Amino acid sequence: MEGQPARRPLGQLRHVIPSLLVVVCLLDIASRFVSIDPLTFRAWEALRRSRPPGAAFEPNRHYYNERSYGDLAAMGNLRALRQYRPEVFTTDALGFRNAAHVLDAEVGAILAGDSFAVGSGVNDDETLSSRLSKSGGCVVYNAGSEGPGTGPEWIVAIARRLNLRSRLVIRLYSEDSDVLAIPTSRQVTFRKLITWAPAEIRGVVGRLRGLLTVSPLRILSERALKVLGDGRILPNSYADNVVRATLYNGDSILFRASHVNNFYSKREVAADYWKWLRAELQKARLDLLVVLVPGKYTVYRPFLVDQRPVGPGEGNYLDRLERELRAAGVPVLNLTPFFSAEAARLLERGEYLYWPDDIHWNARGVALAATAIRERWPLAEVLCRNPRPLVVQKP
Amino acid sequence: MLFNSLGFLYVFLPITYLVFWRVAGKTPRYVFLAISGYVFYSFWNYKFCSLMLLSTGVSYLAGLGLLQWQDPVRRRLCVAVSVATDLAFLGFFKYANFVVANVNGVASWLGGTSMVPILDILLPVGISFYTFHTITYIVDSYRRVITPTKNLFEYAAYVSFFPQLVAGPIVRFRQIEQDFKNIDRADQTADSEAGWSFFVIGLIKKVLIADTIAAVIDPAWARSSELSTVSAWLCVLGYSYQVYFDFSGYSDMAVGLGYLFGFRLPQNFNSPYKATDIADFWRRWHISMSSFFRDYVYIPLGGSRGSRLVTYRNLIVTMTLCGLWHGANWTFVVFGAYHGLLLALHQTIKGPWEHLPLWARRFGTYGLWLVGLAFFRSAGLGMALTLLGAMFAWRAGEDIVGANVLVVMLALAAAIAHWGPNTFEMRHRWSPSWVVGFATLFAVCLFALYGSRPAPYLYFQF
Repeated sequence: MEGQPARRPLGQLRHVIPSLLVVVCLLDIASRFVSIDPLTFRAWEALRRSRPPGAAFEPNRHYYNERSYGDLAAMGNLRALRQYRPEVFTTDALGFRNAAHVLDAEVGAILAGDSFAVGSGVNDDETLSSRLSKSGGCVVYNAGSEGPGTGPEWIVAIARRLNLRSRLVIRLYSEDSDVLAIPTSRQVTFRKLITWAPAEIRGVVGRLRGLLTVSPLRILSERALKVLGDGRILPNSYADNVVRATLYNGDSILFRASHVNNFYSKREVAADYWKWLRAELQKARLDLLVVLVPGKYTVYRPFLVDQRPVGPGEGNYLDRLERELRAAGVPVLNLTPFFSAEAARLLERGEYLYWPDDIHWNARGVALAATAIRERWPLAEVLCRNPRPLVVQKP
Repeated sequence: MLFNSLGFLYVFLPITYLVFWRVAGKTPRYVFLAISGYVFYSFWNYKFCSLMLLSTGVSYLAGLGLLQWQDPVRRRLCVAVSVATDLAFLGFFKYANFVVANVNGVASWLGGTSMVPILDILLPVGISFYTFHTITYIVDSYRRVITPTKNLFEYAAYVSFFPQLVAGPIVRFRQIEQDFKNIDRADQTADSEAGWSFFVIGLIKKVLIADTIAAVIDPAWARSSELSTVSAWLCVLGYSYQVYFDFSGYSDMAVGLGYLFGFRLPQNFNSPYKATDIADFWRRWHISMSSFFRDYVYIPLGGSRGSRLVTYRNLIVTMTLCGLWHGANWTFVVFGAYHGLLLALHQTIKGPWEHLPLWARRFGTYGLWLVGLAFFRSAGLGMALTLLGAMFAWRAGEDIVGANVLVVMLALAAAIAHWGPNTFEMRHRWSPSWVVGFATLFAVCLFALYGSRPAPYLYFQF
């Protein structure tokens, strides 16, 4: 095992190991200047890397992936359950998912919210804003963003930038999002500072953040280790992130484990944030419509082979939130009844409103949401022609 | 911060290393080492730096008192205050909730209703180690084994020396006193080859062997009640190598880092799986801890100077405390008591045992260790007994996912642990082909570190 003392510097660990560390570190740094698109499985990961503060994605990007697949299949490292589909994803100069020309068009409404508003796993022409634009007759601007969604200060900033013909903001809120809290005055000030910062500076900050936080080497290594930890060679340490269930028709469907737990928890309902949001938007003469998006588990739980019973106060979060918002005078539309009814009808044909391997709705689900919004909200028909104070019918 | 993290390898280690060797003079180096120790610790939780600072301050003052006073009463008072402070920290943060839970359990069993609330306490990482550092310092000063230092920064650097801060080895001041005294005359290159060699071997042991075994057996331990007999044995065998390669890997890295900064830390593992009896095992396993309990608990209790029964009592008490040191759980108490009983039993059957063939003594010692590990690894006594039941009574049950990989890793680990040389038996002057081999394995470790969160060392929890 032991050899003769090595004399040459390169034959000694004290030179080789530090050199190796430097080389790998430099390789890591260099790789951060290269596009990560080929290493990503969908646009969300690729385009959020260097997003400027306040923006949802990198501005002016066009992403195409022939073999995109669902986030749940990725989270659970379940290669066999991936459903491959092409994905086209375009962002505008502000860093939101819109075609470039939208910023110069007459805009009928702003769509804000989380990834359901952005559209995940669907092409540019299949997003909710695209569907509403087609059905409403004029452009709906997609201001969807990550996590809790776009804040009012950024919506107001976008509204100033756009050529608005109606002052409507459609705010999606998905069931599995966190309960939103009114930001502190310090948070509001910070966010306002971001909206005021020049785009160039925000761009540099976003780029720097991307360089510091996203390592292509790490992505590559994670992928390699995921191949080993696939549940056959080595145990799948990601499997607990998702719940795999079987529907009555025998199809497999994935849910996020935390979302299943959410469903069975007695979540607090509060309208404070929404009243605050409405007031903030009204200061800029913007009207708010809240659209409640049911979680995948809420929609498909009734059709599962093994159903966990629902206890009192569980599984009705959006219904309670809807009542609370109505009582507070906040215009609201709950999509749950539409999705539950349509899911039952489509299931007989083996069709779905959500991707089986993804948290999000598919093109069919998006279309249903657009129809529901249009049907239950008569102003949508005259969105671009006759701006009036907002009145929402009870579904 | 973990040694097996990219932040440590790319940022903390290079900066600390380069600055340390560019700082000249004793006190500046003491100050820098002390600061770097606190920075290292603060990556886990900066709030608990104050606890370490307080422990350092109290024991430093007690050391000054011991230096100044010859009066036995005052000297005893110095020791008592310092050791009581350390034990109070350890007792509160590590054992308070264990006591509360047991008091509540007994109260409930007796039909009582008053419940003491469980405290919201976070166990400070490494508290079991740095409090023991300060205890050895004060007791050795009291025994006049060492002369307490007057230099606060030297002492602070000793307590917070980052290679040994959070998981040992429990280095006594006298073991590195000379290195501290000569810190301004240390040669940067003298031990750097050995330093990197120890470090790389330790990292390979941790990342490639211990963590790979853990990836297979951890999910299996989580459903230990459903395991078949074969799977239960694989679990315990796997854990025996995981814990050895994890902790001896960490110790090797600590020793290697010590070398890089001009310190010679003591050996912590001396091929324990080659032990021929249980007493031999504890002379080889976590040597700095077992020698601590020998010198500061067992011998003060009377050691083997009394009757046979008193010796047995001392062994069992010492090992039970040793078990409890690992964690506030009855499983650790049983683990310690079990080893105390084994040591007592060994005293009685030493003669016949010595006549067994070498392979049988080694095999028997390792087998006894495996049984104890069932308690050591289990979350509760019930889980340990269930696992032992599965091991010793044939049972069909669930297989282990990744069993093929596990078997290969076990064979490799067994070959190294039972037959290979340990890191202190190597000369650390490698031929170019070995250097290439180590560099390749180091690169694989880096790749693995990129792809997963760095797994904490098992002994961080103790």
